[in-house]
Amino acid sequence: MNGNCGAAAMFAAALCFSLHGAAGEEVPRNAQTCVACHGPGGNSTDPAMPSLAGQPAQFISLQLFMFREGNRKDPQMSPIASSLSNADMNELAAYFSRQKPAAASHETTSENAAAGRRLAEQHHCVQCHGPALLGLQHIPRLAGQQFAYLRAQLRGFKARTRADFDGNMTSAAELLSEKDVEILADYLSGLTPRRD
Amino acid sequence: MSPAPFRSVISLACALVCVLTAAAAQAQTPAAPAAPPSWQQGRNAEQEKSPLHPFAIEVTGKSAKELPVDKLKVPEGFKVEVWADGLPGARSMALGSKGTVFVGTRQLKDVYAVVDRGGKREVKTLLKGLESPNGVAFSRGTLYVAEHHRITRYDGIESRLDNPPEAKVVVEGLDPQNQPGHFWKFLALGPDGKLYYNVGAPGNIVMPAYFQASISRVDPRTGIIENYAQGVRNSVGFDWHPQTKQLWFTNHGRDWLGDESPNDTLHVATRKGQNFGYPYCHQGDTLDPEFGKNRSCSEFTPPALKLGAHIAPIGMRFYTGKMFPAEYQNNIFIAMRGSWNRSIKQGYNVTRVIFDAEGKPKMEPFLTGFLVDEKADPPMWGRPNDVMVMHDGSLLVSDDQNGIIYRVSYGTK
Ligand code: HEC
Ligand code: HEC
Repeated sequence: MNGNCGAAAMFAAALCFSLHGAAGEEVPRNAQTCVACHGPGGNSTDPAMPSLAGQPAQFISLQLFMFREGNRKDPQMSPIASSLSNADMNELAAYFSRQKPAAASHETTSENAAAGRRLAEQHHCVQCHGPALLGLQHIPRLAGQQFAYLRAQLRGFKARTRADFDGNMTSAAELLSEKDVEILADYLSGLTPRRD
Repeated sequence: MSPAPFRSVISLACALVCVLTAAAAQAQTPAAPAAPPSWQQGRNAEQEKSPLHPFAIEVTGKSAKELPVDKLKVPEGFKVEVWADGLPGARSMALGSKGTVFVGTRQLKDVYAVVDRGGKREVKTLLKGLESPNGVAFSRGTLYVAEHHRITRYDGIESRLDNPPEAKVVVEGLDPQNQPGHFWKFLALGPDGKLYYNVGAPGNIVMPAYFQASISRVDPRTGIIENYAQGVRNSVGFDWHPQTKQLWFTNHGRDWLGDESPNDTLHVATRKGQNFGYPYCHQGDTLDPEFGKNRSCSEFTPPALKLGAHIAPIGMRFYTGKMFPAEYQNNIFIAMRGSWNRSIKQGYNVTRVIFDAEGKPKMEPFLTGFLVDEKADPPMWGRPNDVMVMHDGSLLVSDDQNGIIYRVSYGTK
């Protein structure tokens, strides 16, 4: 465990007891700041805060880049990204992509399990995010992601307050009703976040 | 509108244009509620379930140390090495008279300048905050940059790499609707002293407006624009034959007509005003299933060479250097950045085009090793984007997937 907690005084208290890496793995210095919000090993326990563990590395570095360049904005996340170099971002992305996602804490209601799957197929979510919604390349894992976070992002894409890189997601979310968003978030959040 | 997207995702203007053109062409299908991303446009109902998708670049770049660059292959006697890394999104290249290499980007907002300092390359971010500054050209001390909507000039640039002058506009208003589509531009200076640039098609397969799907030229002294070639879906690489001075260009064919159709193409424009077929006729001999009705391919100028379906030819240059063996003189090198729109991938290489005694072109792979598994997603670890002959005759190859420039040399140099 790396004991350097001085980097971000604001989060110092949280940092000093939340540094978990995969066994024997060195935690990049910058990652110590992240776990204060994103949870130990990048597994969030806050429904509004996204997990990073096991996300594709390219997705993580793309999001960090978009926060730094101002395309994506968030009062908590933007200032964090503003001081990261490309090399920092790549290192953080590699680190969090290697962390094992924790089992989903959310339980999907039984009616939304079927309805959610239908929507995910009907709206081609599975074509891009993968059949098990585990993500690839610059496309995120949705399976097992925090419920409130997923719902907020889908609303954001629909309202065009969350920018995306290539227009894909804005266009995909456009056809969803508020009810679809609710069902999809409930469905996705309860899925197993890994392939084992 | 999205807050500050890389490109305005779905402008109302496009929603209108795309829906209207699609509706005009296909009155029987209901109009889509909004324009899909341009790469999805033209899919049939079954293809909506296709897992094929364009690959996103690494916007933060990759260090050459993390990549299998030792897997790159060149013909016997040639050598390939990493020339510079740390240029995320590196695309078109231009060479300054003092040896500065200028590099444009498409999904970032930067133009880089790379200077060789005693065998070590220094990468500077020369210009920031531009709109898709894909095109760069250099002439008589001036750097020209083509963005989405305008072409600008930076005079005396090589002596001002650390404090570049303000942009002076050559021409603007080139993207009046600010819609999604193939509107990043390649830029090159013709033998007539005019700047040539492309304006692509607004979607995969749609009826272009009169200034779209074309190669145009602008006189930098007067700002007067002329349409030079039409029916060109998207050309992001061109050069002039060293002897005939004719314009040769690469062109991307439409997507979603299957793994083998149509070919992307290499063309020669023997004069101003020729039409190369889009959206009616593809690869010189294949009518479009929608737009080709009641048309004939004989109306259009056919390609000089078919390059392979969906292989995505980008930069191309004639080889005029002194370093490579004599048989390479006036050959063409083409950077193949694809394919994505086929189930079995091909390309991801630099291809050499050779002319036989009758002047007929044929091609062979020159730099390979980026493609790892033609059935995998992703199939490759790097994507050649542009090629450029250096003053010493070596060939630079940009890779926008990783933000790396490679150098191919011959002999002991
Ligand atoms: C002060 C709390 C905080 C800290 C510290 C923090 N983040 Fe975040 N992060 C957030 C919030 C909140 C969001 C969600 C923003 C939104 O809703 O758009 C976020 C979003 C992200 C995302 C996008 C995730 C997704 O699924 O879209 C990434 C990637 C990310 N953070 C990485 C990091 C990294 C790496 C660090 C450490 C360098 C870090 N964060 C530190 C609060 C924080
Ligand atoms: C055409 C491809 C495509 C389709 C179809 C698609 N997505 Fe996405 N999705 C993406 C990409 C790419 C991103 C990353 C967005 C960015 O650029 O920031 C994304 C991001 C997301 C996010 C944000 C997650 C996070 O951690 O920040 C959510 C939620 C999401 N998609 C849900 C869905 C749902 C639900 C559907 C089906 C209704 C869907 N997507 C369909 C490509 C797609």
